[in-house]
Amino acid sequence: MVAPSSTPGLSAFPFLTVKEFRHACCYFLDKIRQSEPPSGLGWSSIRLEEQGNGPILKISQEIDTVDVICDEDILEEPEDPQRSRLEALEDDPEALVRSADTSPRLRVEYDILLSPSYQVPTLYFTLRWGDSGGPVDRDTMYKYLVPEQYKKELMGVGVIGGISINYHPEHGTPAFFVHPCNTADAMMHIAGWQNLTPGRYLLIWFGLIGNCVSLQVPHEPFAKEVTQEPKVPQR
Amino acid sequence: METQISLSNIQRSVWEGQLPLEIILAPAESRTFDQTDSYLISYPRLSYLPSLLPKLRAFFSSSLIDPNVQFNDGWFSFEGVPLKWHYPVGLLYDLYAGADPASKGTDITNEFLPWRLTVHFNDWPDEELVRLDPDGLVMNDAFINSVKEADFLRNGTAKGIMSLSKEDSSGLWKAVEGVDLPSFQRISNILLPPPSQSFRNIPIRIFLPLPPDSDSPSLKVVQSPLPPFIQASNLSASQSSAVKGSPSSQPQTMGTALHSLLPNLFPSRRTPVLAKPVLHGAVVPMSAPIEEVVRSSAYGDGWVYVVVRMMG
Repeated sequence: MVAPSSTPGLSAFPFLTVKEFRHACCYFLDKIRQSEPPSGLGWSSIRLEEQGNGPILKISQEIDTVDVICDEDILEEPEDPQRSRLEALEDDPEALVRSADTSPRLRVEYDILLSPSYQVPTLYFTLRWGDSGGPVDRDTMYKYLVPEQYKKELMGVGVIGGISINYHPEHGTPAFFVHPCNTADAMMHIAGWQNLTPGRYLLIWFGLIGNCVSLQVPHEPFAKEVTQEPKVPQR
Repeated sequence: METQISLSNIQRSVWEGQLPLEIILAPAESRTFDQTDSYLISYPRLSYLPSLLPKLRAFFSSSLIDPNVQFNDGWFSFEGVPLKWHYPVGLLYDLYAGADPASKGTDITNEFLPWRLTVHFNDWPDEELVRLDPDGLVMNDAFINSVKEADFLRNGTAKGIMSLSKEDSSGLWKAVEGVDLPSFQRISNILLPPPSQSFRNIPIRIFLPLPPDSDSPSLKVVQSPLPPFIQASNLSASQSSAVKGSPSSQPQTMGTALHSLLPNLFPSRRTPVLAKPVLHGAVVPMSAPIEEVVRSSAYGDGWVYVVVRMMG
């Protein structure tokens, strides 16, 4: 249940200012860190980094591909996953303990930053096999990261689909990203009638953008307290 | 009207700008090591390097140690630095070549020309460059994304580019690839607000100087919403947009924009003191209104990419 608060939280909805975005990220981070037991659906880390053009919310996640890989896949592409898995094991002192687990793991790094052009949060992400593998290609990304129900829709738009590969705006390295050009319209449709706080905005954004690339926000930390978020301080 | 004519003249010059390139095959990939003939071409500054790859693959065909490489395996480097292919070659030159910007009357020949690049067909640097595909879709997609972003800044919505017909949308890319200014103008006029109507924000990105002797020179880019008009009074405090023609507004110039984004590098709004803005190989006057700079001198994707060059 979300009761519209009496004070407007956002100055330019459906857009966010850098200040509002930073506020939303801090709120989000606090909630995740305070929750007991620490939730995060298997996120291996979450942190906020200040960069030249503003803050970046960074979330790391390991994806177990055991459920997805079938024998056929292993026959098709035996090299990359297995080899990098083995390489990872060689350097890993705990490898013996975990040796029963033979499925290759995908490491996903999600970076959420405010697009200076679209003025909405934008999701960039990279995938690697284990810690030492190189970046994976588009097909592998779609295969393991995009849930079945979003695939058709995402692959059907734009020149090469709704997820493009481009250069990370801060690091200049190749990264996938979800097109932010429709985000503002979508936020308007979903929440145009509400008086959103920055934190609530970001939660809705996660539902809109995150789910389609397996970035799911744990429900618990946010279940009760959506209306208790403090206002953005005026400077 | 006069402004309009001079803006078109500038645009024509920008589109006619060429850069002599000398492209060598990476010695490690050549049967004759560094004795392979180089490929020479005068190439439009607005063009993108991958468009050369089919010709280069054919030209170096007999020299390649690995005969199985495809043209879309090709990538370029300058002095060991892989070049980001989604930037036009003129921008890459302004960023990396180290040449002084041209000014009126200077000799166009210089020690930096032809610009000497290396093409590689093996060992794609996955950590640094996005891979290409044989159909050019990745490059087309990167271009269109950039066009969309510029359009969104100019209009405040993405409706312009969304409403562009599929034909015109691919036509825009073809016009830029073919350096065909009339076709480009026809399509970009659908996207641009008419001259009487100002942009909402100016699509402009500022590239900071590369630190000398850095091992991995990653580019630092600054971008922030820049309205075309600003409050004349209390300049320092306001970057808020002002209404065109209202008595308290004045055009946002290259100088006011740089000063507001990078006050340390540009302490003055009128004079370059420590650094100067370079675009298409020339210094942009600090007094130039940035909307006019974009209307006349944008790259094919609608952006102005300014390279900041330290003085002295």
